[in-house]
Amino acid sequence: MKFNIPIGPQHPALKEPISIRLTVEGEVIQDADLRLGYNHRGMEKLAEEKSYIQNIYLTERICGICSHSHSTCFVQGVEKLMEIEPPRRGIYLRYLVGELERVHSHLLWLGVAGHEAGFDTFFMYTWRDREIVMDLLEMISGNRVHYAINTVGGVRRDVDEALRKKILDGLAILRTRSEYYLKIGASEPTFVGRLAGVGRLTKQQAMDLCATGPTAKASGVALDVRKNDPHAFYDEVDFDVITADSCDVLGRTVVRIKEVLESYKICEQILAKLPDGPIAVKAPRKAKPNEVVSRYEAPRGENIHYIVSNGTDKPERLKVRAPTLGNYVATIEMLRHGFIADVPLIFAAIDPCVCCAERSVELIDGKSGKERILRFSDLRRMANERFRTLPLQRNVAWPF
Amino acid sequence: MNDIDKIEKLKTFVDPAAITNPAPRRIFVTVEPKNLVSFTAKLKAELDCWYVSTISGVDKGEIYEILYHFGDTTGSIHIRTRITKADPKLPSLCAVIPGVVLYERELQDMFGIVVENLSDPRPLLMSDDWPAGNFPLRKDWKFERPDEIIPGGKK
Repeated sequence: MKFNIPIGPQHPALKEPISIRLTVEGEVIQDADLRLGYNHRGMEKLAEEKSYIQNIYLTERICGICSHSHSTCFVQGVEKLMEIEPPRRGIYLRYLVGELERVHSHLLWLGVAGHEAGFDTFFMYTWRDREIVMDLLEMISGNRVHYAINTVGGVRRDVDEALRKKILDGLAILRTRSEYYLKIGASEPTFVGRLAGVGRLTKQQAMDLCATGPTAKASGVALDVRKNDPHAFYDEVDFDVITADSCDVLGRTVVRIKEVLESYKICEQILAKLPDGPIAVKAPRKAKPNEVVSRYEAPRGENIHYIVSNGTDKPERLKVRAPTLGNYVATIEMLRHGFIADVPLIFAAIDPCVCCAERSVELIDGKSGKERILRFSDLRRMANERFRTLPLQRNVAWPF
Repeated sequence: MNDIDKIEKLKTFVDPAAITNPAPRRIFVTVEPKNLVSFTAKLKAELDCWYVSTISGVDKGEIYEILYHFGDTTGSIHIRTRITKADPKLPSLCAVIPGVVLYERELQDMFGIVVENLSDPRPLLMSDDWPAGNFPLRKDWKFERPDEIIPGGKK
């Protein structure tokens, strides 16, 4: 007998509305389906009615964790449309915030992964240390989440010598902590035992289903826009693209911790080479009719904006693709033939909960395929009845 | 493989006039909708382009312009195709690249383009009670907020 288990769209354990429908047989997931659109805000339509400057703040609100990556992707595209070149100091500061954002996003994810794996100490540790990078971001931009530091032609706030030193001190602490997390993530037996082999996605599947970011990297696909299509100054800094070939949640965890270590390396290079000069140039209000494709490596994967200008101060079209959408098809594949108990781990970034799923299940008769909706009270009654009418068995051998 | 090598390779199976290279690591190729599937299969086989970032649709008055954004390890190739508004039909790329299914469904929802042979043609983003024939990203579509009806609320 197959069960359909719906999770969401509105659910106490889900931070964002999404509907996951699982078809299970026993404990094993046979099929999964996603329904999206519960949080569709029509931003692409809205962007056509707003000026380029207003759109910076609109795109920043696409995501509440990697807000800077969307506004940077938009701004670097608009700068190409307006044919202006931001000053070097402005570029360095923009991507300094970008790399610190990657650190904060990955530390957040690590905490969630630890929590879902039942390792709450790890969650407490990573989220405590995440405060260091959140404080640094607040000192640089004045805000913890929506930094609002980008503008067309550069950045809006400068970093002075005292702050530069504070950032370097913070990075030194974070580096020692992250090295410790790498040791835990890769060698703590209970943690490794929980994550290894869960949510498998082979390299071929990751390539076919166009997975991106750490999901693809953990399956051995070295796709990283910073290396493949270096935007701004990424061809001048020294860093490695981290990949793993274990194709499971453990690989994704290790990739993220190692990526954080690469980010510290990039941040230190930025701060060591920080050029003098202005942080922004004055930008025109309008852009000539043209088109541009802007790509950016967000913490979750490749972020792409396609902007068409029409000679006015508003874009003709702004197409946004956030990395999570690219990973949904792969997520369905990861869930398939997994256990129900692994769903939260596989979905960790979205964070659903199965045990307290909605209070109704759909029963499909395995033979006839007929569907019935049952309440939990009915199920309990059926189960009790079955056990009451079961013939009494004597001298039964314990199967284990 | 840099841009020059890629363009040389593309010229062997597509009209050279259809290829533009406006910026480093950005190659645009214009392809007829009927050749889209065979072209993509060739692109995948010969230039190792298996990763689609997304599909963009643009409403350009009488026509829709559809762009398939491909990425690879050395840059990006963007396939541009144009279809008329009177007959908005596109072939599906799912058979060549299974990962594009969500983007093709999004295209159907937002522009009312019919993607033929799509493996899963259900609406992606629109709610179940979304009125038929409303396609938000068409330029002539304007949002009008419907009157709010609260069940059992004040008359």
